[in-house]
Amino acid sequence: MSQFPLHLLCVEPRFPGRLGAVADWLVRRRGYRVSFFCHNADPRALWPESTGKGLDVISFGVGGLANEQRIDWTRVLERSLCYSYGCWEVLSARHPRQVDVILGRSAGLGSTLFANVEIPRTPVVQFYDTYFDSKNTSLSASETYLHWRKAANAIELIELENGTIPWTATQYQRGLFPGEYRDDFHVIFDGVETRSLPPRDRTPLTINDKTLDENTRVVTFVARSLDALRGFDTFAQVFDRLAQTDPNVVAIAAGSPIVDHAFDHANYGSDFPAKILASLSQTARERMLLPGVLSQANLARVLARSDLHFYGSQPHPVSRSLAQAMAAGCVVLVVDDAAVREFVEHDATGLLASREVDELTAIAQRVLGKPLEYRTLGDAAATFAREKLSRDVTLPRLVSLFDRLVDERR
Amino acid sequence: MHILFIHDAFPAQFGRVGLELTERYGWQCSYLVRSFTRCPEPSQKMLDSLTIQRYTFGTRPFGSDQTPWPQLYGEYVEQCAAVLNAAREWPDLRPDLIVANGGRGAPTLYLAEHFDCPIVTYCEYYFARSHRDLTYRIDLPPAEPAPFFPRVINAPTLASLTTSHAGCAPTHWQKQSFPERFHHKIEVHFDGVDEQLYAPGQRVSEIAGRTISPETKVVTFVARGMESMRGFDLFIAAASRIAQERSDVLFVVAGDEKAYYGWDSFHAQGKTFQEWTMSRIPCDPSRFLFLGHVSPETLADVLRRSDLHLYLSVPFVTSWSLFNAMSTGAVVLASDIAPVREIVKHEQNGLLCPLFDTDQMANLALDVLATPAKYAPLGRAARDTILSKYSLDACMPNLKDYYERVANL
Repeated sequence: MSQFPLHLLCVEPRFPGRLGAVADWLVRRRGYRVSFFCHNADPRALWPESTGKGLDVISFGVGGLANEQRIDWTRVLERSLCYSYGCWEVLSARHPRQVDVILGRSAGLGSTLFANVEIPRTPVVQFYDTYFDSKNTSLSASETYLHWRKAANAIELIELENGTIPWTATQYQRGLFPGEYRDDFHVIFDGVETRSLPPRDRTPLTINDKTLDENTRVVTFVARSLDALRGFDTFAQVFDRLAQTDPNVVAIAAGSPIVDHAFDHANYGSDFPAKILASLSQTARERMLLPGVLSQANLARVLARSDLHFYGSQPHPVSRSLAQAMAAGCVVLVVDDAAVREFVEHDATGLLASREVDELTAIAQRVLGKPLEYRTLGDAAATFAREKLSRDVTLPRLVSLFDRLVDERR
Repeated sequence: MHILFIHDAFPAQFGRVGLELTERYGWQCSYLVRSFTRCPEPSQKMLDSLTIQRYTFGTRPFGSDQTPWPQLYGEYVEQCAAVLNAAREWPDLRPDLIVANGGRGAPTLYLAEHFDCPIVTYCEYYFARSHRDLTYRIDLPPAEPAPFFPRVINAPTLASLTTSHAGCAPTHWQKQSFPERFHHKIEVHFDGVDEQLYAPGQRVSEIAGRTISPETKVVTFVARGMESMRGFDLFIAAASRIAQERSDVLFVVAGDEKAYYGWDSFHAQGKTFQEWTMSRIPCDPSRFLFLGHVSPETLADVLRRSDLHLYLSVPFVTSWSLFNAMSTGAVVLASDIAPVREIVKHEQNGLLCPLFDTDQMANLALDVLATPAKYAPLGRAARDTILSKYSLDACMPNLKDYYERVANL
């Protein structure tokens, strides 16, 4: 199948966000030019390799409500429209030429909603993360929060109805959307890097000025922010028990300490790890390393050294960190739900368990006590990731979709 | 059977329907509404037979002119929360079915948390991004929100429709205005014209204190507001031509001077669209009788006196006034657009004319006024159409059946 180099216009509130890695792969592996419109960006150390070399980053401003730290729950769509309008203003001023495809990720902020006003008749492929159901999450929630969850779907609905070609990463995510929309979705996992991963390695590793020798057993936890949504509290409780019985076990929990998931609304904006660590034993506190957000290279090194990777998310679209841990060959211990079962098959590519701390602790102790016995799970996870989750496997499908859209337009 | 109707206003669409369900079938009908309308006012029979609770929220009228369009959805979810609170405060309210309509989306988003019964969204209309409703009148100066608002306006409608069990649209065209993906859950059931009130009969000799001689030809135009979406300016253009040709024509106009839909205020330079139109098109004001809002009884009198009724809407929600005019047996000359074609068949039960061709419209109108006997059969056929398809007697059995089916889902 032909794979044309295309001019892609990406829109996402933050760079590199989720589309940055996709854009980087398209530039480096398929010769694409990408104009990436965003409102703000992570530190340059976290930018992908092709930035400035085929992947250009252009920022757009937002006005009004979008500049406020917190907004009333009823104004969620109004804030999104500030992003939509801000992006349109910059597109309107720059008049980007010969755009083949617009690729957007709303992240609840509707950035591409008005893109076609400026660039009409150009296909818009939109990545959709989630659609909130009306039921409570297992996190404690106020009525206001539950009302917000339902109100917040508006931007997804109007984007779906404004001619976007919907794309999501997993069948689980597709299944969250109303039945009327599901058939329209392209389900393509956006992939993880598998080409240049470091080999599994037990040589000493230094984290937060602490050197972990080859005998140290490392338990890892990775999330965008260390919050209740992703189960940091459960992880901490399990680790507390492990630390009390195993003097050689250390935890590395990578991610921002400040909760930035609005879904964990009770802890949003707070230092959740500080609160959780205060309830742990001193032993556990001393052996819980919190390096913050790691670059992809450093994260890969940590995962290569992991003896057990814990993934304890509440029901929610699966975090990329699980796929990265599997790609790194980690033995993954995962709290079971429908979302993770697309990735992990119990006793084949990882271990699934209930959220019971006793059960999770017992399994973790078995894995750490008999690492060779469980190594096959890590190897199988790596094989699964290479064959099913690698960008080299998944993104050509996205490229084929782009090609078809461009062909149809010609 | 107990139905809870939810609407911004009472009686609006649901008042008469509830009264009919109560009187014909002994059903219990309750209402959660924000306000009582002034025109029409609720009848005493409605107030006696129906249980009506008012609820409040916010400090400004929902969807008022003061609300910037990006904030309309926020008002909608506030209204949804207010409806939930009002329902909770209503002791022993346990409906078998909820039927809801709203100015911009039914405010039912949170009702499933409180009621264990199906919810029907009244699917009045789904706005298009182009070539219908707000964006149809490209002959008028473009308004600033034009590229943006149509992409956003349906958010409340989508939110309510995705969370309701079923939808009910009054006409097939209105159902078709919704995305095809939702057609499977929307049935078409018209809510019924009061065929006894809007019936042929004696022609009044006075309207709003103005004596009208039997020789005077009356051309009527009725709309909620005098606005471009309902073709007020096109009516004036056609009327101007007709008035030049005939000195015996009086144009009787019912409806508010205010524009309810669209962006007329953007190009009306501080005037109402009515003032703006009348200042641009030469016409003799003495030939027009502007009634403002009128009661249903007065409207029926006006329509009975009509020699020709003009309905010049863009493709949008089909107005009750069209049904009312046909029900009284008026000869209707209407814009040749899809929603009208569903009801009016050219030269069978009315006349159709291209919306923007005001010359052809005026010529047709002049022919109707000159040779009324030739066109009288059209008025009788219009009345028959209403009786067979759109009257309360024709519609209520189907509507009852529909509500029962959905309540038992």
